[in-house]
Amino acid sequence: MTASVSPMKRLYLSLYNFTVLFGWLQVLFLVLKTLKEMGHQNVYSVAQKPLLFAQTAAILEILHGLVGIVRSPISATLPQISSRLFLVWGILWSFPETQTHFLVSSLLISWSITEIIRYSFFGLKEAFSFSPSWLLWLRYSTFLVLYPTGISSEVGLIYIALPFIKASEKYCIRMPNTWNSSFDYFYIAIVALAIYVPGSPHMYSYMLAQRKKALAKAKAA
Amino acid sequence: MKVTVVSRSGREIVKGGIELNDSATVADLQEAIHKQTKKHPSRQRLTLPVQPGSKEKPVVLNYKKSLNDYTSGNSKTLTVTFKDLGPQVSYRTLFFFEYLGPLLLYPVFYYFPVVYQYFGYKGEHVIHPVQTYAMYYWCFHYAKRILETFFVHRFSHATSPLSNVFRNCAYYWTFGCYIAYYVNHPLYTPVSDLQMKIGFGFGILCQVSNFYCHIILRNLRGPAGEGGYQIPRGFLFNIVTCANYTTEIYQWLGFNIATQTIAGYIFLAVAAFIMTNWALAKHRRLKKLFDGKEGRPRYPRRWVILPPFL
Repeated sequence: MTASVSPMKRLYLSLYNFTVLFGWLQVLFLVLKTLKEMGHQNVYSVAQKPLLFAQTAAILEILHGLVGIVRSPISATLPQISSRLFLVWGILWSFPETQTHFLVSSLLISWSITEIIRYSFFGLKEAFSFSPSWLLWLRYSTFLVLYPTGISSEVGLIYIALPFIKASEKYCIRMPNTWNSSFDYFYIAIVALAIYVPGSPHMYSYMLAQRKKALAKAKAA
Repeated sequence: MKVTVVSRSGREIVKGGIELNDSATVADLQEAIHKQTKKHPSRQRLTLPVQPGSKEKPVVLNYKKSLNDYTSGNSKTLTVTFKDLGPQVSYRTLFFFEYLGPLLLYPVFYYFPVVYQYFGYKGEHVIHPVQTYAMYYWCFHYAKRILETFFVHRFSHATSPLSNVFRNCAYYWTFGCYIAYYVNHPLYTPVSDLQMKIGFGFGILCQVSNFYCHIILRNLRGPAGEGGYQIPRGFLFNIVTCANYTTEIYQWLGFNIATQTIAGYIFLAVAAFIMTNWALAKHRRLKKLFDGKEGRPRYPRRWVILPPFL
């Protein structure tokens, strides 16, 4: 039993990584093609399906961490994936008014390049127990530019969505009700924005530490 | 006896070491370090050095013991590793401030409905009986906690890091306001009279039981907090390792049955999660300590915290 677990796990993780990689490749291709042919207003409508697929599939990464089939800590994975899902479903999908903004293009380009590098790195590592050194370098270096652009786009889009959230009252629960609770999506969005203030530098410094560790290890090897 | 005090990186903290008489205790060493470094003994964590890269936990020096207990053979020298724990506060101070917040903040929402005008509720405010009982229940609970802190609890550790005050206060004060906001809301929907009576009745029973559990735990320790780990016995401790947490969780369940707010249930879930982690750690520790070997008693089979679930 135990002998077959490892190959099965590796096969599953390889399939997972390459499937999601394909999704992100599609996103990048469609974004660049649309920008060239139709302009930024149409980027979201064209890339929506592969984007929703690729980003929602990342929920499995949280499960992988919980079950223990990957080593990455939940504390690092959970906030990152949660914020991405909040943006994809809670902002872009829920409020079509934000979909035509140019920040959608910068967001999707930042995300897709990051994820193409990341998933190809993990995919090769799982499938062939090896990944080229240049890919390792890209994995731990591109974030230096792509994190700031991605995070700025995320913050910008949440901010742009605020008036539409307030006006629509979407996802709001009002009192009175049996469970004596209320929920205001507008304030949730503001809290999400506030979390970015300490969250972004924290994630960035975490990645810098990871970079230092990974590149030092690669150098030693 | 000469004691060399080094940091975890190996740097000498007190230049030239500290000379103490042969019968000196760890407390004497801490006082000497205090004189040299101005770091109060409560901030000091002294351990025996471990080999770099070693996975084993360092031996922490007990302030009551003699330094000779930590030297090898007739050696008149000792090297200790010093770690500054940062500013400390007594546990009594910590608990007092974290419980004072909910005790003072909750009644603000009850007695000053004007608070709700800031949230856009301008209408008539009718106070339901359940809201009054909830306020008394809540205040009784936190007043009880404060009184227990000063007159019942005996602490094994004298102090806690100052940062814990801010963290714990943020937790209790925020949840206090969060729950008070909904329970005292002008648009609050009360539960049935029967449900309210069941909830508060069960809750009060659990609060009294919780107090008795704390009395049992108090009697396991000496006045100075000494006594180490012992098997708690009597009352609910015969069936649950952490009966004090059990009663704490179930009394909040009673409060939530009576008041029925999502905020209250979120608080219950978070508190239960935290206490379950503590209880599992304590249960493991007691089972490991009382293993039935070499004359030690065997830890009896018990629930950990939440009968009939865990």
